[in-house]
Amino acid sequence: MDVFANLATGFGAAVTPANLVFCLVGCLLGTLIGVLPGIGPIATIAMLLPITFGLDPLSSLIMLAGIYYGAQYGGSTTAILVNLPGETSSVITCIDGYQMARRGRAGAALTIAALGSFFAGCVGTVVIAAFAPVLAGFAEKFRSPEYFSLMLFGLVAAVVLANGSVIKAVAMVILGLLFGLVGTDTQAGVTRFTFGVSELYDGIDFVPLAMGLFGFAEMMGNLEKKLEDRSSTQKIDSLWPTREEAKLAVPAVLRGTIIGSFLGILPGGGAVMSSFASYTLEKKVSKSRAMFGKGAVEGVAGPESANNAGAQTSFIPLLTLGIPSTPVMAIMVGAMMIQGIAPGTALLTEKPTLFWGMIASMWVGNLMLVIINLPLIGLWVALLKVPYRMLFPCILILCCVGAYAISSSTFLVMMMAGISVLGYTFNKLGCECAPFLLGFVLGPLMEENLRRSMVLSFGSPTIFVERPISLVLLLMSLALLAMIVLPSFRKTREDAFQE
Amino acid sequence: MVRVKSPQDFWAGLLFICFGALALFLGRNYAFGTVTRMGPGFLPTVLAWILFGLGVIIAVRGIALDGPSIAPGKWRPQIFILLAIVLFGLLIERVGLAPTVFVVGVVAAFASIEVKWKEAVLLSAGVALLSILLFIKLLGQSMAPWMWSP
Repeated sequence: MDVFANLATGFGAAVTPANLVFCLVGCLLGTLIGVLPGIGPIATIAMLLPITFGLDPLSSLIMLAGIYYGAQYGGSTTAILVNLPGETSSVITCIDGYQMARRGRAGAALTIAALGSFFAGCVGTVVIAAFAPVLAGFAEKFRSPEYFSLMLFGLVAAVVLANGSVIKAVAMVILGLLFGLVGTDTQAGVTRFTFGVSELYDGIDFVPLAMGLFGFAEMMGNLEKKLEDRSSTQKIDSLWPTREEAKLAVPAVLRGTIIGSFLGILPGGGAVMSSFASYTLEKKVSKSRAMFGKGAVEGVAGPESANNAGAQTSFIPLLTLGIPSTPVMAIMVGAMMIQGIAPGTALLTEKPTLFWGMIASMWVGNLMLVIINLPLIGLWVALLKVPYRMLFPCILILCCVGAYAISSSTFLVMMMAGISVLGYTFNKLGCECAPFLLGFVLGPLMEENLRRSMVLSFGSPTIFVERPISLVLLLMSLALLAMIVLPSFRKTREDAFQE
Repeated sequence: MVRVKSPQDFWAGLLFICFGALALFLGRNYAFGTVTRMGPGFLPTVLAWILFGLGVIIAVRGIALDGPSIAPGKWRPQIFILLAIVLFGLLIERVGLAPTVFVVGVVAAFASIEVKWKEAVLLSAGVALLSILLFIKLLGQSMAPWMWSP
C-alpha cells in the first residue's frame, strides 16, 4: 500500500479552489461559533450542519471537517484568553494557558497552541493514511458479533469518560438506545414509538435532536447565569514565543502528538482523554514541576497537540469500521448519512476518491486553522466582546432554519423545542447528554447486529465469547468497567474532572 | 416524610423510571419474538426494563446518599426560547422566512434580562435580511422569502 500515492489522489480531489473556499468558510464559521462560551464542537457542528446540505458529498465533508477543527481551536482560544473552556477537551488548556495570558504571554500561548495543533494534525493525517487501510483490511474479518462487541466497548468507554455519576451515564446510554429505536423496524416492517407521526417513521432526526440537547439546552443554561465579564483585559503584544518557550514547547508537542494519535484510535478515547493524559505526562517529566498551574508552556503545548492529534485519529474507527467512537464522530455519521454515504469498510474500496479526499481535507483544514487564526486573532478577541444577548438570538435562528431545512417540516422544529426542554432537564439533574447521543446513534446498529448474531448462533449468546476478536473486545470492556470500580482509578477520574 | 438527600439523583431516577414505564407501555403490543428470531419488541422491552431498574436504583440512592441539590432555574429564558422556536414552526410556512426570522429574533431577545428594545428590533431586522441572502440566495434552500397571503 502506497500511503503517499493515496494521499496524492486525495489531495487531487480535495484541493480545488471551490473546496478550499468551503474549507476556509467551514474553519471560519467553526471558530466563530466555537469561541462563543458554552458552545462546544458538538453543538457547533450540529448548528452548522444544515449549511452543508446543498453541497456535493466531498465538499460538504470537507466543510464539516473545517467546522470541526475550527470549533476545536475556537475552544482553545477562549480557554487561553478568558479562562472559559469552550469544550471539555480544552479544560486542561485553561489551567496553564490562562495563566500564561495573565503574565502577558497570551500571544505566545495561542501561537504555541496553533502550531502544536498543526504539527499534531499533520502527524494525525499521516497516521490515518497509514493505518486506515490496514484497519479496514482487519475490519473485513468483522461479522455481526464483532461489530456488536465493538459498539458495546464504545458505549462502555463513553460511560467511563462521562463526567459525574457512572450509573446515571449508563442510564443515559440506555435511554439513548431506546430513542434510537424509534421509527420503522426494518426487519419486521413495524413502526415503533412513532405515535403515527410520519416524520418519525425514519427515526428521530439527528440534527434537531443534537441541536436541542446541546445547542438550546446550553443556551438556556447560559442565560440563567449572570455571565461574567468576558472581555479580556490582556493585550496581545507579540505572537511569537521566546527561545526558551520554544525549547520547552517542542518536546511537549512531540510527546502530546504521540499520546493523542494513539488514544484517539481507541473507541471513546478521542480528544478529551488525550489532552488529560498529555498534561499528566508533561507534569511528570517536567524539570520545573512547580511551574504547572502557573503558566507552564508545556502545559499548553502538550495537551493542545494531543487533543488535536486525538481529534484527528478518532476518524479512524469511523472511516474503517463505520462506528462512531465519540459524540462528535456520531454527528459526523449523521452528516454522512444525510449525504448518502455509509461510513465503513466499503467506503475505502468503493469510493476511494471520497475517502482519501476527506483525509487530505483534514490536513488542509489544519493548515487553514493556522492561516486564519494567527492573523485574525484580534478579530476573535473582538468577538468575545460582543454581548451574549446579541449572539444567542442569531444562533437560535440559525438552528431553527437548519432544523426546518432538513425536510421542510415544521414538526422537526416543534420536536426540537421539546428536546431542548429535555436537554435542559438532563443538565439540571446532572445527567450527561454525550452518552445519550452515542447510544442514540448506535441503537439501530446494535439491534441489527445483535439480531444477526443471534440468527447466526441459533440463539446462543456464547457466540460473543467464542469468536476471538469479539472476546477480546468484551474483555476490554470488562477491564474498563473494572477500572471504574477500583478506588484508585476512581479518584484519578474525579480529579481529572475537578481540574 | 422521607428526606431526599440528593434531589438531583432522586429526580433523575424518577425521570428514568417514567421513560422506562412509558417505553414498556407504548411497546406492549410489539411482538417479542424469540432469542433466535427477535421481534420488534425484543430490544425495546429489555432496554426499558433495564432503564426502569436503573431508575429505581438511582432514585433510592438519591434518598439514601448525600448528593448535590438542583440548581434553581429561571423561567424567563426557557419560556422565551421555547416560544421563539415554536413561533418559528408556526410562522415559517405562513408568512415566509424574513418576517418569521424578525419575529422570532425579537421574541428570543427577551429571554435575556439584559434585553434592549431598539437593539433587539434592529438586530432582528438585520438578521432577517441576512437570512434571505444566506439561506435562499447563497445556499439555495427552498423557502419563500416572504408571503403575505395567510
